[in-house]
Amino acid sequence: MPHRIVIMMISLLSFATWGMAGPITFNSALPLSEGTGILRAQVNLLHQSGDATALKRNVTATAIPLVLAYGVSARLALFGVLPYVNKRMDINIGANRFRRNTQGLGDARFFARYTMYQQDRPGDTLRIAPFAGMKTPTGAHNTRDAPGLLPQPLQSGSGSWDPFVGIAITRQTLDWELDTAVSYRMNTKASGFEFGDEARLDGSFQYRVLPRTLEDIGVPAFVYAVLESGLIWNGRNRLAGVVDNNSGGTVWNLVPGLQYVTRRYVLETAIQIPAIQRLNGTALTTDWLWTTGFRWNF
Amino acid sequence: MRILQSFLFILMLFAAPFGAAMAGDTGQTATIVVNGLSCPFCAYGLEKHLKKVNGVEDVNIDMKHGKATVSLKPGTQVDDAMLREAVKKAGFTARDISHN
Repeated sequence: MPHRIVIMMISLLSFATWGMAGPITFNSALPLSEGTGILRAQVNLLHQSGDATALKRNVTATAIPLVLAYGVSARLALFGVLPYVNKRMDINIGANRFRRNTQGLGDARFFARYTMYQQDRPGDTLRIAPFAGMKTPTGAHNTRDAPGLLPQPLQSGSGSWDPFVGIAITRQTLDWELDTAVSYRMNTKASGFEFGDEARLDGSFQYRVLPRTLEDIGVPAFVYAVLESGLIWNGRNRLAGVVDNNSGGTVWNLVPGLQYVTRRYVLETAIQIPAIQRLNGTALTTDWLWTTGFRWNF
Repeated sequence: MRILQSFLFILMLFAAPFGAAMAGDTGQTATIVVNGLSCPFCAYGLEKHLKKVNGVEDVNIDMKHGKATVSLKPGTQVDDAMLREAVKKAGFTARDISHN
């Protein structure tokens, strides 16, 4: 199986972000109060098809990332993301349809974010927060099935320690919110295999559609209409030091969504629609990625 | 007698500003203008920190006007600096504080 098929899948499934209200598919710079925790859970469902070859490959992948966030101070917050993943590929071998799949814990990510700039006005805030962390090899990367060792991208984990850095900028008012984030992850080698690095440029605009006007007292629940944009670039993989020219590429997703935001919890759903997929070589294309989840303040 | 009157007058002069400050801290409610508050989910952290301040019984947040009103326990007083610190820990900026 070409590795590039699933490298994009991993990128799309690993977007689980931290806890504050804000974008659905990437990180914001919104505040996390000192001593406050947030639990976030998501279900991400991906489908890929469009194989023009006789293999007629189809990929379905599910990821359920749990995110725990904690405010060490008003400026410094720590985050942990632990995903459960299920990856399945159906493929024609000869006259038979064959399935290879794996499931289990994926690779956990741990990172810290520091608010380096904060400008508060009535009902309005602008924040800039860099973040840095590490993807850790908590997922299995040597799972086997009947034909043998699963291809590395189909494993639930990469086996590698992969550092990443980024910066998030958020402007939020009572009526709307605008976010952008740029990040880079340097993937390292494990078991002779190295995924290509990943760079992301994300944007999000959220507009309060309900309530249309705010009451003079209290904290009402907000309903936001959300439109996000995700530009993801993946470098080519390397197997035993040899570059795989049929891996990596660039994807641009448009993500319409909806959020219901209260004091204690957020409910949200969105669908990522690939607007542009420029993958190296021939590869399966992503049909859609649906995500839904909640966040809970404690 | 004249000396005693002078002593009491001087005592009142010194006590007046102090008394005024304490009166400001012993109101039934205090209202804090909070800048940067623009999302319901973020308001929880502010409420949580204000409730931790000694003497605070209840907190009501007015999202529209960016105000947090704390109700004080009877017979208690609260220091403005503690309220400001609570707002800061929640990740926001406290402006004016008024007592009623």
